[in-house]
Amino acid sequence: MLHLQPHNLLIQKTLSEAIEAYNKGAPITLDRIVSDFDYATFHISDSEQDKSILHLSIRTKAWQSVSSLGRGILAYLQDKYDKLPGVSTLQPPESGYDYTMRINLAELSTDSIIHISLLKIIIMSHAFQLAFDENAKLAELPEGRQDSSTVHVVQYRDDENIYIKPSGDRITVIFETIFQGETDKVFGKVFLQEFVDARKRNRSIQSVPQVLFSHEPPLEIAAVLPSNSISEKSKRFITFVLFPRHFATPELQLSSVCQLALFRNYFHYHIKCSKAYMHTRMRHRVDSFIKVLNRAKVDVDEDEHENNRRTISGRKMVY
Amino acid sequence: MSQSLRPYLNAVRYSLQAALNLSNFSSQDIERHNRPEVEVVNNSAEILLQPMHIARNEHEQVLIETSVNSVRMSIKIKQADEIEQILVYRFTRFLEQRAESFYILRRVPIQGYSISFLITHRHTETMITEKLIDFIIEFMEEVDKEISEIKLFLNARARFVAEAYLGEFVY
Repeated sequence: MLHLQPHNLLIQKTLSEAIEAYNKGAPITLDRIVSDFDYATFHISDSEQDKSILHLSIRTKAWQSVSSLGRGILAYLQDKYDKLPGVSTLQPPESGYDYTMRINLAELSTDSIIHISLLKIIIMSHAFQLAFDENAKLAELPEGRQDSSTVHVVQYRDDENIYIKPSGDRITVIFETIFQGETDKVFGKVFLQEFVDARKRNRSIQSVPQVLFSHEPPLEIAAVLPSNSISEKSKRFITFVLFPRHFATPELQLSSVCQLALFRNYFHYHIKCSKAYMHTRMRHRVDSFIKVLNRAKVDVDEDEHENNRRTISGRKMVY
Repeated sequence: MSQSLRPYLNAVRYSLQAALNLSNFSSQDIERHNRPEVEVVNNSAEILLQPMHIARNEHEQVLIETSVNSVRMSIKIKQADEIEQILVYRFTRFLEQRAESFYILRRVPIQGYSISFLITHRHTETMITEKLIDFIIEFMEEVDKEISEIKLFLNARARFVAEAYLGEFVY
């Protein structure tokens, strides 16, 4: 499994099951809690009165930081989801969750399922969307005045944030990340170096965003960075510079955001995979070493041992 | 095998052959104790022999400390950069955690070395000394190979992963 999928497979499956069962005339009773990366939790349940209505709620860390941006996240999500058949926003959301949508199984089409399972990414994409919009506005201004001081912060984990800075000719996305343990730090360095070099080395991917990597917070975000986090030694900053071709159409925007939102997961996942591989290799190597060492052992043949004489009936003599 | 590795391993082999000449020897200080003399603080000079120190370069060295009933051999494995340091540390730790199946492996290396072996007269009595030396020489060869292979793999994987991720941005 090389790539992580942006949509949540379990939600997709659950909804497909629910539709199938509903169409057969035997709706299933659902009360499922589904987890996703970055402490996101979904809750899928059916309403008690009507079996054709499902409620899907999400709680995610990014909500807090994204909700206040722009016109507000709620309007954004209503734009995205209320146009789908059979989906509507429920107000107020289920207690303990940030957002709840009401799904009518009778009207839900199979195409919408994939959109619904992207919910977590869509919430994060709100901040990206604002950056795309601002970029379009700035691009029309005369050159030299295309800079903007806006920086959107997505706090999607405890100590790791995404910073998005739009400007006229590009959008800068900066990831903060922390490595736990010395091995992760060293492995992470190797991986990050490859991310930086990949674009220069491989001609076929020269049109991808430029990637930069630093220990110091980049100047773009110095102003918004909380001062205490600067002192943190194990923090790394990864900068992606998106050029207009990466967000020219809504489809490209969505796929860029899906990729970027999964960057940290992808990156750390592959570090863990390398460690696991290293572990199996070492295990194998230990076995082969033990085999070599066992060759050195002298086989003690019990019968030939002097103290092992037997009686005439074949019994061993015990001294 | 590179030109300079062969003489280095040969030197280690001959030194080990000379050193692994052990006999049962009860403690002179404490009654009914029979302990590896190389591991304990010793007041009597006749029990410890001159240690042998073989160095290929400053990163690859072997120290063989001998005594009348035990030999302690420590290897410094080549660590050219940060990655190799971590890999060597991980690998030796992994081995040391399984020390009981290696009989002669010391759980903690001595100061300044990556991994240590402790061979006592009991080992040379139950195992063929020549084969024991073969094991140590093979270990030294393989460990370098293993470390550099893991490092190569790590780099290759990182490159592949990075290109695969960025490849998704090619429109």
